[in-house]
Amino acid sequence: MALRISRRDFVKIAGTALALSSIPVSISVVSGFRQPSVSRLEAIGSQREAVRTFCGMCGALCGIQVVKVDGRIAYVEPLDGHPQRGLCGRSASTVWLWDSPLRLRKPLKRVGERGEARFQEVDWDTALNEIAAKLREVVAKYGYKSIAITHHDVWSYYMPLFSYLFGTPNVISHVGMCHASGTVARGHILGAGGPPSVDPDYENASYILFVSRTPGTASMGVLNRLRGNRKVRIVVVDPRMPEIGLGDAEWIPIIPGTDAAFLLSLAHVIIEERLYDETFLKYYSNAPFLIKPDGKPLTEADLVEEGDARKYMVWDAKTKKPVDHKTPGIDPDLLYEGDVTLKDGTVARVRTAFQLFRERCSKYKPEEASRITGVPAETIRRIARELALYKGVVDDTWFISKNGNDYDDVRAALILNVLLGNIDKPGGLCFQESARFPAVITVVTRDGKRYARTFYDVEMPEELFGDVGATRVDRTKYRATPATFDAILDAILTGDPYPVKALFVIGTTPIHRDMDVDKIKEALGKLDLLVVIDILPQDIVDYADYVLPDTTYLERDEFTTVKWTLHAAVHLQKKITEPPEGCDARSALWIMFEIARRAFPERARALGWRDEYADYHKFEEFEESLSEILVRKVADTWKIPLETLRKELEEKGYYILKSKEYMVRPYRVALGTPSGKCEIYSLTALGLGLDPLPDYRPPPAYPLPKADDEFYLVNGKGPLISAHALLMEPMRFFKHLWSVWMNPRDAERLGIKDGDIVELESLAKPGKRVKARVWVTEMVREKVLFTYSYVGRRSKLLPENHFARGGVNIHELNKAYVIPIVGGGASNTSVRVRRVT
Amino acid sequence: MVRLAHLWDMSRCVACMACVIACNSANFPEYMRSSNPNPQWSWLASNIKVWWISVGGRPRVLLTQCMQCDNAPCVKACPTKASHYDPKTGLVTIDYRLCIGCKACVVACPYGARWMDPESHMPNKCLGPECSSRIENGLKPVCVTVCPANARDFGDLDDPESSISRRVRESTTIRLREELGTKPRNVVVLRGG
Repeated sequence: MALRISRRDFVKIAGTALALSSIPVSISVVSGFRQPSVSRLEAIGSQREAVRTFCGMCGALCGIQVVKVDGRIAYVEPLDGHPQRGLCGRSASTVWLWDSPLRLRKPLKRVGERGEARFQEVDWDTALNEIAAKLREVVAKYGYKSIAITHHDVWSYYMPLFSYLFGTPNVISHVGMCHASGTVARGHILGAGGPPSVDPDYENASYILFVSRTPGTASMGVLNRLRGNRKVRIVVVDPRMPEIGLGDAEWIPIIPGTDAAFLLSLAHVIIEERLYDETFLKYYSNAPFLIKPDGKPLTEADLVEEGDARKYMVWDAKTKKPVDHKTPGIDPDLLYEGDVTLKDGTVARVRTAFQLFRERCSKYKPEEASRITGVPAETIRRIARELALYKGVVDDTWFISKNGNDYDDVRAALILNVLLGNIDKPGGLCFQESARFPAVITVVTRDGKRYARTFYDVEMPEELFGDVGATRVDRTKYRATPATFDAILDAILTGDPYPVKALFVIGTTPIHRDMDVDKIKEALGKLDLLVVIDILPQDIVDYADYVLPDTTYLERDEFTTVKWTLHAAVHLQKKITEPPEGCDARSALWIMFEIARRAFPERARALGWRDEYADYHKFEEFEESLSEILVRKVADTWKIPLETLRKELEEKGYYILKSKEYMVRPYRVALGTPSGKCEIYSLTALGLGLDPLPDYRPPPAYPLPKADDEFYLVNGKGPLISAHALLMEPMRFFKHLWSVWMNPRDAERLGIKDGDIVELESLAKPGKRVKARVWVTEMVREKVLFTYSYVGRRSKLLPENHFARGGVNIHELNKAYVIPIVGGGASNTSVRVRRVT
Repeated sequence: MVRLAHLWDMSRCVACMACVIACNSANFPEYMRSSNPNPQWSWLASNIKVWWISVGGRPRVLLTQCMQCDNAPCVKACPTKASHYDPKTGLVTIDYRLCIGCKACVVACPYGARWMDPESHMPNKCLGPECSSRIENGLKPVCVTVCPANARDFGDLDDPESSISRRVRESTTIRLREELGTKPRNVVVLRGG
């Protein structure tokens, strides 16, 4: 009863009463060079100190400080002043992660069948040597490119290094099941890249429309920025109410998979009511480009011999003739439609891209769009007018691999910003400042020979490149994709375009990430080698030949860019603690190098690995030196005195290299599109054989629900959702995580009560059924069921009654569908519902 | 006179649960891994409760904790004067030297803000031990500092210069179940200023 006494004594001896929370803990603050310097440990009241770092509970990496009370990691707080200030329930659950009873503690070797999760503990040498031997066998038979590596955000910086280390081009991330369609669309319309290469200016926006996304699902720094803006109006369009709808945001429930119709209808209203920014469209977009009947842009090459095919023509209202869009002093006509004489004497009817887009949007008059989307026509008109009135911004989306028609959703969202002329302006959709952070590896040519040069200045000669230059498996199928792991599954199953025989899964869980669990399992069964590197037993672990325990973000150094800010900024993570006693975790960087050293020693050596790093303490010195080198390189790039940067990083944990400068792109710097301008009519899409304009197409990924007991089943993220955070004990108590959401009117109609168990049968894969508990809530639209991502665990390494078994893994009920060329997957599906109890 | 209170802003909260979870690890670390840490609420060992409610058909979330009533039923109900107003802070506080674990306060609280500790069999409530220590050191409670949405504040309602007083002035606010005469100090913001 020591506890009771201490608690009783608490009030009496306030100030020293923290003794009560001094339950024996074995966190050892490491000594020597690895200990965070004193300046990072700020004493905050008696017995407390705060260590500034960034969070690793999801991929967003928000700025936080870890507060220790009497040496115990007690809680985590947002890091004030950090451009991406934390935090959320995931981050708060960090305290549970470090010594989680679920933590993978030793290397494991499979002794049963794949999927049985029967393992024996082995020492590191045994595991690494056996993996290396198997890899050599695989490479001897099928070549380096038969090795694939898949990952999520963690360790992503080092992935190109792993590619050279193993000689394979097939390092394929989660992106196909996340933001692939958005990333392709951002490239096509704005010449931008993945999120957040462009992002709304949350601090200054007066009106933000979020479609299929909500701030607070990943980066809480974004929410924090938004909450510092007292004038902003927020509208969210989603089949389920995103968490921000609980507050002051307006939620517009929409039928799943119809976002493009909604957005194009907004565009229709904005165009027909002339609410668009005419000047912006004329001079900074390709809206006035003249398009020929074959859909191609009219260029100088069409008009004169030896004309330049990259000179896109517009109709100059002043001179009444077609001119190069870059000609100074012209007045491009947005609405031109007429005949032009081509160099061969023929006459072509040309129309502006704007007219073509206008015509496309006219298919979605509010009444028609209402029929498709379920959003009242008046709401559509109101939102369109509000967007224009407030000079609003439409968010560029994040997790969007949902319905198989998502590429068009993002294109339409981006084009709305172009119509409003709200690009790179305060409160608009802005380009992120680049931190000019060193790439982990770059290929340099010297004396006609190529070398892969690492940021730590070691070079691998081209004769050791292996198959790095081969076409990645996914790009052979989906030309424009940033990454499509589904193509790896196909290659494993069919050997097409070439066999994939060994797979490394690093800090990610394909069984809860990728479509069609049956397909995934079948593919895993055909591999010669499956190695999983993780910190917790994700479902994929059950299928691994070897499971290797990774370190958590509290146990290693990292220096990287701040992701979710418009500024160019960097931040530093310092090792705060050793892994808990009995946990022999090693950093994935060490693991991959050590496997390579044993399998392909010449490759490891060429990339700077020394035999002595096999000693983990020596490696940690190397790892720390990598952060040091990166800090030095960033200081050099930005011409900041090294000591200044070091001191700021030590004291504050972050450093802003350059504050956001507005009105740069496309005003002073050309965009990465073929025309250098915002392209409402995408020339890149045209070149790829895609429709250059967005359109609404019904979701192709699943049969649409029709009968009374048929529903859309949609999924999404939230502020508690990450593959790791969901396994932390506090999550057990939040029933909304572990249930399928159903609207009360649907529940009443089907005689289903809150807490009932239902059986969901996939309409996409008839016969495939799972059971789930129902949460009856107004937070989901009628005729739609919602489940969070990463729930519905099946790993046999979890206790039988573990709470994470609750909920539905949507990938058990969907069927793989990948958008042609673009490579984005589709996670949503449709189901038939039957009450079980 | 000091009248310390919490403020929670319904218009800003996104139910990320950071406050609920951090309350547990900061104040009740001994119950981080218990299978049933708070049987009374079927909840984690946290002083903050979450209510999923509907206001006029619109889904909302309501987070509650000890309301710091000026006319606290728990203080009145306590037979041993264990529940009392701390003379320094004005907060409703439990003197565990006097508590006999009779649960009269738990029953008396119309907000259900107290829960019985499964080991000590004494009531727990906001502020927990770490947060009490923090305010003694001039820091705000953990639930306030962890909030990413700036949905929380804590301070002296009698000090017009305090941030909580300013927010009360600038916002549309309510107190929960005032009709009971409990005079709760804690403020719920419906619409922020």
